[in-house]
Amino acid sequence: MRTLDRKLRREFRSAFGRLLAVTSIIAVGVACYVEMESCYTNLVDAKQRYYTRCRMADFSLEVKKLPVSELSLLSRFPEVLELRPRIQFFATVDLERAPRLLNGQVLSLPDRPEPTINDIVLKRGSYFTDTRDNEVIVNDGFAKQHGLSPGQWIHLILNNRRQELFIVGTAISSEFVYLVGPGAITPDPQHFGVFYLKHRYAEEVFNFEGACNQVLGRLTPAAKRHPEDLLRQMEVILEPFGVFSSTPLKDQPSNRYISDEMDGLATFGKIMPGIFLSVAALVLNILMARWTDQQRTIVGTLKALGYGDGQVLGHFLKFGLTVGFLGGAIGCFLGFLLARWVTGIYGTFYEFPDLRNRVYADLWLIGLAISLLCAILGTLYGAYGVLRLRPAEAMRTRAPRRGGAIVLEKVTFFWRRLGFSWRLVLRDVWRQPVRTGAGLFASAMGASILLTGFTMHEAIFHLIDFQFRKVQAADLELSFKDERGIEALDEAKNLPGVDHAEPFLSVACTFHFGPYRRKGSITGIRPDARLTTPRDRDGNRLRIPDAGLVMSRKLAELLHVSVGDVLTVEPTKGLKLPRRVPLASIADGYLGMSVYADIHYLNWLVGEEFAVSGVQLALDKDARNLRRLHGELKELPGVQAISARADAIKNLEDTVIKTQKTFIGLLIVFAGVIFFGSVLNSSLIGLAERQAEVATLRVLGYGPWEVGGIFLRESMTVNLAGTLLGIPLGYRLCHWLADAHDTELFRIPVVYAPWVIATTLVLSVVFGLLAHAFVQRGIHKMDWLEALKVRE
Amino acid sequence: MPADRPVLLRLASASRTFQMGEVAVVALRNVTLDIYEGEFLVMVGPSGSGKTTLLNLVGGMDQPTEGSVWYRDIDLATLSTRALTRYRRETIGFVFQFYNLIPNLTARENITVATEISQDPLDPDEALRLVGLEPRRDHFPAQLSGGEQQRVSIARAVAKNPELLLCDEPTGALDFSTGKQLLWLLLQMKNRLGKTIIVITHNVAIGEVADRVVRLRSGEIAETHVNEKPRSPEEISW
Repeated sequence: MRTLDRKLRREFRSAFGRLLAVTSIIAVGVACYVEMESCYTNLVDAKQRYYTRCRMADFSLEVKKLPVSELSLLSRFPEVLELRPRIQFFATVDLERAPRLLNGQVLSLPDRPEPTINDIVLKRGSYFTDTRDNEVIVNDGFAKQHGLSPGQWIHLILNNRRQELFIVGTAISSEFVYLVGPGAITPDPQHFGVFYLKHRYAEEVFNFEGACNQVLGRLTPAAKRHPEDLLRQMEVILEPFGVFSSTPLKDQPSNRYISDEMDGLATFGKIMPGIFLSVAALVLNILMARWTDQQRTIVGTLKALGYGDGQVLGHFLKFGLTVGFLGGAIGCFLGFLLARWVTGIYGTFYEFPDLRNRVYADLWLIGLAISLLCAILGTLYGAYGVLRLRPAEAMRTRAPRRGGAIVLEKVTFFWRRLGFSWRLVLRDVWRQPVRTGAGLFASAMGASILLTGFTMHEAIFHLIDFQFRKVQAADLELSFKDERGIEALDEAKNLPGVDHAEPFLSVACTFHFGPYRRKGSITGIRPDARLTTPRDRDGNRLRIPDAGLVMSRKLAELLHVSVGDVLTVEPTKGLKLPRRVPLASIADGYLGMSVYADIHYLNWLVGEEFAVSGVQLALDKDARNLRRLHGELKELPGVQAISARADAIKNLEDTVIKTQKTFIGLLIVFAGVIFFGSVLNSSLIGLAERQAEVATLRVLGYGPWEVGGIFLRESMTVNLAGTLLGIPLGYRLCHWLADAHDTELFRIPVVYAPWVIATTLVLSVVFGLLAHAFVQRGIHKMDWLEALKVRE
Repeated sequence: MPADRPVLLRLASASRTFQMGEVAVVALRNVTLDIYEGEFLVMVGPSGSGKTTLLNLVGGMDQPTEGSVWYRDIDLATLSTRALTRYRRETIGFVFQFYNLIPNLTARENITVATEISQDPLDPDEALRLVGLEPRRDHFPAQLSGGEQQRVSIARAVAKNPELLLCDEPTGALDFSTGKQLLWLLLQMKNRLGKTIIVITHNVAIGEVADRVVRLRSGEIAETHVNEKPRSPEEISW
């Protein structure tokens, strides 16, 4: 078979363009698979290692104040392996160099290093020393952002007192892989940090001697899987100590974000490679079918010479397998590089001690196997048609393909208006259903990928506009450490630069409806509030009822509750009495699961006169006023957190949008490969098959551009038709992805924007034209006089 | 003359019908013919007379729709695809009307593609020497003239060292003198190597060098003529 191998090698050279087209589609498919699966595995492994290293808690219980001696109430449960009391508070940070107060979370840690639940990983400096009590270990990201190093002093407002703390080290921890501040959706180390204090010092500062306000625990593997009932029992036991909430690991915010991301990656990691590999299999199929068909006579000759079907098939398989192997190998390598790059991007969002990309032999093997399988199936299907022919048949001149009128010709008024070349194009498109079908499929898939990428991009802008301009219009939101009365609002109104101020009350509670139960919180606002305006799907303002709730669609779905239903609300503060509350309307939104009520009604529910948790401010645009405002806020007691809308938007733009642009760039390249590969492959096959036709046209006096024009019309007809089909498919894909990303924390809207469709169409044409340039080159270079001598 | 030799091939009431869309075309109708070992048989007839179909049947490239084709005591009509492949590989050398060279292989490689699967092949260079093409062994088909391509095709058939050489219009695309050279070559095969040769052609003159001429018309044998004294290629012209 060595001679046939030589033939094969030469054919590889002569069919380089077509091979490149198919190989690149396979390579992109495999690369997509290897990249996404590698990233997924990188994240899973890094998370697993990190959680083990830090002894990540399986649950936490938030209480008002619990004597540490009472922990034995919980350690009695056989499912509990280990418990740790912790003191945690939100605090503000006063950095001399920062113009405004920054947000922080203060957590206690054992005074001496010891294996502990939710331990830290030191990045710089050391653990606490015996030198002083007021030592602090600062979250590494925050320290880097603000140029803080061990040996420096910082000031935190702890329990309404300004405390000076000595930085001994910087650290990260598995409970803050995704470090988001209160109300934020993206990590913002510029404005939010975590600060670890010695437990004894925290006891002293917060007046918690011998007590804690949080219990962290680890459970047996069996209890870990379904800790809800156990946690409910614990809540009942801790009731006398003012239990606020219990949080299983799956609901822990950072864990929730990465789990949602990994779930999304797992879904995306199946869809995208699936699209590419199905296009690749189809295109390879066409390529092989056409290639074997063009070799009919050679197959007949080989069989006449005594070659068996197996040997001829083996010959074809070598061709297919080489394409499959090359595509697979290039794809694996490309996938590895992409995974390294994307893992690097994940590294900027997620703080892991050792997030790195590895070579996963099993993924590479699967990638190669998928690619080879595509190639084998394509080859078998392609070769079957020719191999089943007897040699005499194979060598006989092929009868002209089925002629006759196509359906379109019956539409006479249309057909009569067409010129000769359009008729030629339409007949060829019609009479090659498999090739046309493959072209339509590839273009549709390419278009749907482009459209999905652009729509996702548009979705973020829509989300920002909806969430941060329509629903939450406050420039600044101040949360108080303890609830305050109406006077807080008057104070806020008198702050410099404040145009308008509104109070809000936030009450954590548990919602019950039938067998369904969810934890959440209700935000009480004024019925005439301008700075928080819940809206429906179309962006219309919803009225805040005198009595009843306005609930986010996601929470209503989870509780299976509809407008008019009466649900039970059990506040975790105030009188804590279960109340029957009607659902007045459903609000739409993309972040979290908000529930709104009239602030007076909410106060009545919890048995308060008029309490506020914070104020929302609309500011004037004077920069000097803003500086003065932040200066005064530094002096204002009782402020627990400050969130600025501009920071949230800027942070989203700097992180999510920037990253998204990179991914969209990648999607454009990938979709381009599909368009380009499919058009190139199909046109080059057409050109190879129709050499005699091209030669005849040239003899008749057609120039190469005119002949090229016929091919261009044909490829563009299929390409554009496929793209048009791909647009609804793309929106379907967007909805599918939006459903896959529909989590309690975050939802992606599907937005219909004209520019998305226009850009998809334009790119489809551009990629098609690029591919046609190669075909046109082939037409220019064709030795058509020689082609005239071809028998078939 | 041939009756004293053993029968190598026997067609017994063999018919071959092709279904062309809705029309059934009878290419060969009820043909009975014996072909003897070491015989040089020429089949003549106009286009569509069934020559190529008959050649395909005896070459194991096609099977009759009715009747049988025997090679010695084997009925080719009953053979499996695998057995037919073995038959072609071990017994048949085929010279095609349009040469059927593989464009991506050189002259020599077009021969080795056949010798590599043969049991007792000739040296490919020897085969090229026989057809006088050794100097052009590394040329691709596109670099050879029609006559040269046909000679490579013959060399390829001969190099397999088959028992039976089947030639489909071997001189059809050749000029007069090349055609004659080719006939010399075929006669050499028969006389020196004892091969059985079947040639199908339009060219009646070629029949003069054969042991026997069978004339086909509309898929049937119209006439059989035994040459008592076959002439040498030198003596004929067309």
